[in-house]
Amino acid sequence: MRTYPPPPDVITGRVAWVFGDDFDIDLVIGVENIKSYDADFLRGVCMQAYDPTFVDRVRPGDVVVGGRNFGYGHPHYPPMVALRDLGIAAVLAESFSPGFWRGETYNGMPLLTVPGISTTAATGDRVEVDWRAADVRLPDSDARLLGTPPSDRAARVVAAGGSLNLLLAEHGRTPATT
Amino acid sequence: MPSTIVEKILARAAGRDAVTAGENLPVRPDRMMAYDFPGYTDVMFRQMHDDFGITELAEPERYVVFIDHMLTRGDGREQEVHQVTRDWCEHYGIALHEADGIGHQVMVEQGYVVPGAFLVHFDGHISGAGAFGALGWGVRRDLLEGWVTGQLHLDVPATTRFDLVGEFPPGVDARDLVHEIIAMLGADGCAHQVMEFGGPGAETMAIGHRQSLCGMAMFTGAVSAVFEPDDEAATHLAALGVEAGTPVTPDADATYAARHTIDLSTLRPRVVEPGSARSANTRHADELAGTPVTKAFIGSCASGRIEDLRAAALVLDGRTVADGVDLNVVPTSQAVHDQAEAEGLLDVLRGAGATIARSSCDFCFGYQKPLQADENCISTGVLNISGRMGSTAANIYMGSASTVAASALAGSITTAEEVGRA
Repeated sequence: MRTYPPPPDVITGRVAWVFGDDFDIDLVIGVENIKSYDADFLRGVCMQAYDPTFVDRVRPGDVVVGGRNFGYGHPHYPPMVALRDLGIAAVLAESFSPGFWRGETYNGMPLLTVPGISTTAATGDRVEVDWRAADVRLPDSDARLLGTPPSDRAARVVAAGGSLNLLLAEHGRTPATT
Repeated sequence: MPSTIVEKILARAAGRDAVTAGENLPVRPDRMMAYDFPGYTDVMFRQMHDDFGITELAEPERYVVFIDHMLTRGDGREQEVHQVTRDWCEHYGIALHEADGIGHQVMVEQGYVVPGAFLVHFDGHISGAGAFGALGWGVRRDLLEGWVTGQLHLDVPATTRFDLVGEFPPGVDARDLVHEIIAMLGADGCAHQVMEFGGPGAETMAIGHRQSLCGMAMFTGAVSAVFEPDDEAATHLAALGVEAGTPVTPDADATYAARHTIDLSTLRPRVVEPGSARSANTRHADELAGTPVTKAFIGSCASGRIEDLRAAALVLDGRTVADGVDLNVVPTSQAVHDQAEAEGLLDVLRGAGATIARSSCDFCFGYQKPLQADENCISTGVLNISGRMGSTAANIYMGSASTVAASALAGSITTAEEVGRA
């Protein structure tokens, strides 16, 4: 698995896309591509079914927004690898499917449950996210939404850049170089 | 403090008198399980050994590994994958169960699932352990935390209670019930919660049906499911020579996130349309009647137990599947296979034209006999997402063993009742 640095205290960027309810994350790259971890390949297929300009317009610090039960289905890891490689720094959703939530929290991705986000945020909106407080500001619409802050443990996982890094640190080890 | 079953099990596993839904705390599973699969177990073993410097385990008996995937091609790649697992298990003194069947069933036959036990696996279908009043929780890569530290940080889930009354009508079973619940509550109706089943209807359910229902819990958004332990579960385990464990029952005044009563006698066969198990895809079987199928599959960790094979044999006894239909039956474990053979069920199924395959996970994830583009398959597998059983252009409908058998007979989606065998 690829590793990514932990997010800054306040993530600043734009809303890169707004997904609907029960969104199957595999669709980000297409189910025929879910076994690839090749960054260049994933870049070529990422969000092509939704917006061919997505890959070129996303900047580090951008976020994606979801509706209810984001990540439903049988989530694989490559779609989020594809999004993170582009710089997507957080997912804000009405709610998350548990399997997706656990898998991507392990990988250190801030996943914030923010009621109202899917109807308030629009693609292209500027966004500022204090992820520890689940405090979301959308300056373009002068909106502020307060979600459910991550548990202390989940916050530590994210701040460490993922669960593996946190466990290694807790055991006085650093990742082995391979 | 009044508690649900899961709160009591997690309190014990956390060494606490009581826990409350919403708390995050470290808990010690009784068993920490995995099946070998490239990118999972090989990586985890290497991380445990190389990254964490763990060269021996203090409590190897808490670790269990199954070889139940990638068993049917017989090529060098399979042997390579399995040998890595064998070597690590030997190194650490970990019990390895190879080719005995699907781990989520073999774990019961081997005595790891006892009432009140807490088990984790990276795979979510371990929730089937709930049939016996145990808590099985699929924790994905967080299994590494368990393997390395002996405990995992988990959020204590809230519980939704299902009081079951009545009895399944003929030709209806737990697969129809789980999809009824999804149709009723949505694909996130029990999100991040545990489903707790009890009541007189629950007691009428066969053990295999309880395993099926609990094993599919994730499609309601639940992290697991659990039945109140009863005499039926105790008798089943006793017949396997398994210790009784410590049955855990909920307190009468436990706090539930929601409570629903379902009358099993009102249920009708359900079929799920291709794509996912979400409620929008869930139909009564008669709504899809006539949809042609050329592939049919009875098996998986959720179905393929003796109850499913009996149901299929009841439908197919003395008949043959429709021309052009390829019916594949995969008993959930070798023990189930042997019992079905002894009962004459497999002869009935072979006589109907079914192919009986070795017990494994391979059919369900498209490794064995993958579906081709544009094929319609009706399946008791656990997933019908695009590409799950082969080509991304194949269509997978899901239903009970009765419905799959009836549809194979007709060559199109139908029910056991419609073919006169409910």
